[in-house]
Formats: sequence, structure tokens, C-alpha cells
Amino acid sequence: MSVRAAIRRLFGIALTLIAVSVGMFWASASYARRSGNQHTSPFRAFPVFFNPHPVGVRDIATNALHAIARGGTDAVTARIALARLGGAALPYVLPALDSLDPRSRERVALSLTPVAVRMQVARSDELADGAQAVLFWTRFWQDRAIDFRAASVRHLTSRLAERSIALRREDLIHVDTFALPALMDSLGRVETLDDVARVRRLNSVLAHITELPIECAPDASVADARQVVDTWLDFWELHGSEYAPLDGPRRLAATFVETQYGKWLAALLRGGLGRTRSGQHALALVEEGLTTTSFLLFVGLGGGFPLGVIWTRFERRRHEPITRLASAVLGTALAAIPCATFVRLFTGVGADLLSATCIVTITTAAWVSRHLARSTMNQSVSPIAAAFSVSAPLGATYPPFVLSAIVLVELMFRLPGLGRTAALSLAAGDVNAWMAASLSLASASLLLRHAADLVRPRGSRGEIAGSS
Amino acid sequence: MNEPLSAKRRLLLATSGAALLVVLATVLAPLSPQLQTYARGLAFAVLAGLSIMAVAFLVALPLGALAASGPRVIDWVLRFACDLVGSLPTVFVAAVFWAGANSVSSFVCGLGVLRGLEQAWLLRCEIVRLEAEDPDAAPRSLGRTPLVAFLRRRMAAALGPLFVSASFSVAWLTALDAAVSQAGLRPPSALATWGVLLGAPHQSPFPALLAALSVAWLTVALHALFRPPSAA
Repeated sequence: MSVRAAIRRLFGIALTLIAVSVGMFWASASYARRSGNQHTSPFRAFPVFFNPHPVGVRDIATNALHAIARGGTDAVTARIALARLGGAALPYVLPALDSLDPRSRERVALSLTPVAVRMQVARSDELADGAQAVLFWTRFWQDRAIDFRAASVRHLTSRLAERSIALRREDLIHVDTFALPALMDSLGRVETLDDVARVRRLNSVLAHITELPIECAPDASVADARQVVDTWLDFWELHGSEYAPLDGPRRLAATFVETQYGKWLAALLRGGLGRTRSGQHALALVEEGLTTTSFLLFVGLGGGFPLGVIWTRFERRRHEPITRLASAVLGTALAAIPCATFVRLFTGVGADLLSATCIVTITTAAWVSRHLARSTMNQSVSPIAAAFSVSAPLGATYPPFVLSAIVLVELMFRLPGLGRTAALSLAAGDVNAWMAASLSLASASLLLRHAADLVRPRGSRGEIAGSS
Repeated sequence: MNEPLSAKRRLLLATSGAALLVVLATVLAPLSPQLQTYARGLAFAVLAGLSIMAVAFLVALPLGALAASGPRVIDWVLRFACDLVGSLPTVFVAAVFWAGANSVSSFVCGLGVLRGLEQAWLLRCEIVRLEAEDPDAAPRSLGRTPLVAFLRRRMAAALGPLFVSASFSVAWLTALDAAVSQAGLRPPSALATWGVLLGAPHQSPFPALLAALSVAWLTVALHALFRPPSAA
């Protein structure tokens, strides 16, 4: 195979896998939208694939400002949103105060009181009066606007990450959620006890400014600290865009990034194929299920096909009509009866991996024998090519059939394979686990078919089917 | 099956088999709720199976012929679509279709299209293979050779794999149904079918066994009915 053909094939596989991942994700999102669903994704508020109107801190802060200025029922929600946005919203809210009428200005200033208390720059009783609150925030912005710059906050954060000094912590608390992007970036990887100490220092500030009860104990181990970092990264994945301005290219990128699919992709790129609902890395889940599924797959593919070929040859060589009829009926019936029936028969003697393997092998052998018996295909064709090549009539459907049989058997026998994991994850709405398990199954099918295509014999016009 | 039965006999065999099942279901239905489910499941399996086959043929025949002998772009698109569909475990696709479908007919049509894509690729592969074996045939000759000749010679000879695949439609549907039920992915409001009998645990194994044997019988009947002219 030439380099060009190899690149084309690799490109094709990559393109198909991307399309498969889109299909899987659509399936998961569609299934989650069914009526009566109790398991919802934390990312359900985002569009699935395309976000035409991504919102950043500027949009949320400006909307909240106007809602509070207008008053009414919307103002209550807006006040909560503004208090949650905190310091990140101040660069957009405080300069805009002058554009409001005096009454609205007071309402907005008063709604910022919880932020001032959290930033430890004022007490609530000092800001009880509207006029006082307006005066306080006007002066605050005159004095501290220079602190609300990404470069200076990043510098403060890196110094806190290096060493613990109370003053650095206070400086960061004074800018409140404006420091969140820098703090999240500083969490980094956790390998040593020094990293644990860094995470503990940063966690203290993070927990204060987000008011989330996430703790990193003084005697925390490396694993504990990693869990804390994962929790913060999950939080940031979900709420990060609310604390960051979306300008220019970032807004354009946000149309894809700020979607359910974009969030899943980001979790994938973070490593470990994302985290499942139980906090486990999805990669670990795949590793657990891979043993069972790959065993069934190799036995099913390796045993079922030769058995099917032998069966067909036996049937063709028999001349008694009754034997041929019995063989054909048995083959059709064995391929047709859903595995559940066999499970019922096997339940009494113990449904284990061996029984499951037997069922997959027999079912696939029967299925292959029926296809070969009806096919006009020349039997001298390589069995591997006939079975797996995407360009061979049988190969186009055989690997998907075996995979479906394996998923069915895993479900019926309650075997801890990828098929069962995928089914349970889909039912539970665990997107990361579902995507990891189902993409592993899809990759196995795709790679098998393309690998077989590589080893298929080629003639002047492509004996099997003619390559396209 | 490879036994030399005439087309009339095969049709008679298939029809009488289906009729026997209907009679059996009608007699047994009043005896217990599970047998009633069996009777309803029979109606669903036959009607849905036939609908899937019809939709699949509608999709597969033109698409397969065009991909094999028409413009290359159709071949490329079909190959990509089949790679995509073949990589998705069908059980989950069926579960999503069922959850999202407004009615049973749209669910069945969705499955039919899925099956049709697979069968279109089977047909395409068989036509291209036959063209490769025939020294007189010109590749991608659709439009240049008379359509009647193409349909009579090439298509008729290439229908074998398609018919085998079609004869497993009822079994395929029932297996999917059972797996979806077993995985707990079945919509609560969905009608009771053989999938419930086979996929969910019941006290009496008799209705499940009856359903399994009926699936086997229907498949054998369809297999006998769909005997391609070129079968060995």
C-alpha cells in the first residue's frame, strides 16, 4: 500500500470515528430528552452541537445589571446571578453605574453588598444605605480598578502557588472570582507532596470565592488532592464560560466549545476519557470491560467463522435432501433465536463466560453458514477477507453482527463487558461512560474491518468486490 | 435452504406457517396475560418485520445499484454511511429510535432505513464482485447498458446476500427488542412484544420458548421464501 493510500485510509478512519462520536453523542442527548427521564446531564443547559449565542461574563453581568435596574420579579434572580458572578462582573458593572438613573444605581450597588462582604472589603452594615453603597463602589473602582487585570492576578496567583503568605491570599480574595481563571490554571498536576500543599493553598481561596464546600484536609494525600483538583476542573468545565469574557475569536470558538459535545471533548482531552458519574475515570471503566468483550470478540470472530465455513461445506457435500434441509433449518433457527432463549435454558446450569462464549460462537457460525450457503461467492476467497473486508458482501455485515451478538449476550448474562457498560451508562445518562464504552466498541468494529481490508487479496479488478 | 422446492411450494409453506402461528396465538391468547403478550407480539413481529423488509428494499435496491454501477460519489457516500452505521451498536441505535419516535411506525421506518443501508452495501458489493468476475462486463455501466438488461442479469444474480439478510429481519427485530428490554432502555409506554417475553424475567418460560420458536419458524419460512435464482 502506498503512503498516499495509507494516509487516505487513516484520514477515512479518523473521519468515521469523528462522525461516530457525533452519532453516539446525538444518541445520548436524544435518549436523555425522552419523557419521564430522571437522569439529567449537568450540561443539559447547553445546546448539543452548536451554540449560536454563547454567553460570557460580560453578557450575564450586563443583563443582570439591567434587570436589577428595572426592578420587578426578574431582579431577584439577577441579584443572585450578580452575587455569584462576584468580582468577575465588576469590570462590566461598576463602570456602567454612571449610565443609570440614581434609583437604579442604588439598587445595583445594594445588590453588590454580598460581593463586598465576600471580598472582605466592607461589612454589610456599612453598605445598608443605597447612597452609601453607591459611594463605596464608586470609590472602590477608582482605587482598585488597576487590580482587575489578568496579568497582575496571574502574578498574584503564581506567587500564592509557590509559597503561602496570608497577604497574597487576601489580595486574591479582594479580586474575588476575577481570579478564577488564573487559580484554575495554577492547580496543575498533582504528583508530589509539594503539589498537595499548593492545591491546599489554592483550594482555600477557591472555596472562599465560590462559596463551595470543597475541602482539602491538612493531612490530604496525593490521591485526595487529585480528587480536589478534578472536582474544581469539573466545576470549571461547567461554569468556566460564565466567568470569562467572550470576545473576538473566543466568541467564535465558544459556538462550538460551549456545547454539550464541546464539553465532552474538553473532558476527553483532559485525559482518562473524562470522568464518570461515580468519579471514576472512563478509561478505567473501558479497561475493566475490555477483557470480557475482547475475549468474546476474538472467540466469536475466530471460532464462529471457521465453524460456519465447515458447516456450509458439510451441507454442500451432502446429497440427501433431508440432511441438507435439517442442516439449513437448524442453521437458520440457531441464528434467528435471540440469545435470551439460550440464557433461559442455561440459567439452571449457571450462566457464565463459557456459556456466553458458546452462544456467541454457535450463533455467529450459524449466521455465517446461512450467508455462505446462499452466496454465490467463490469459496476460494480468503476467509479473513470474506469475513471482515468492508468490500466483501459478508464482511460488510459480519463484524457488526458479532458485536451486536456480544452486546446482547453481555446484557443477558450480566457480564461486565463494554456492551453492558454502554447500555447501563446510556440508561443512567452518564455521558462520559457511555461515550467511552460505545466508542471503544465502534473503534473495534472499524479497525477490524479496515485491518481485514488491508490483508485482502487484490487482483486486476479486485476479486472480492473491487475497491473503490 | 438449498432443497429444490418450487416457488409456489415455498410460498405455500411460508403462508401456511404464518397462518398456523396466527391460529395458535388466537387459541392461546385468552389463557394467560403472558400468552396474550405472545399473541400481540406475533402481530407486531409480522407487521413490523414486513415493514422493515419493505423499507429496507426501497432503500437498498436503488442505492446499491447506483453505488455499484453509477457515479463514484454515491459509492463513497454509501461506504461512509455503512462504516458509520456498522460501527454503531444497533441495540443502542434502536433504543434511541424507540425513545425518540412519536409512533411505532416511525420507529419501524427508522429501523428499516438502517437495515436498508446495510443491505444496499451488500448489494453493491455483490454487483461489483459479479462485474469483476465477468470479463464482458464494463464497470460502472449504469446508464450505458439498457436498464432492463441490467436488472435482469446483474441485479437478479446479485440479490442473494440481500435476501439472506432480509430473511433475518424478524429475528433481528426481536433480538433488538429483547436486548433493549433487558438493558432497561425500553420506553415504559411501548406496547408489549416478544422482546418483553424474551428480555424480561418471567415465572413461566413457556411463552418465551413459544416466542423463540415462532421467531425461528418465521425466519425459516422467510429463508425458504426468499430463494434467489442464483442460489447454489
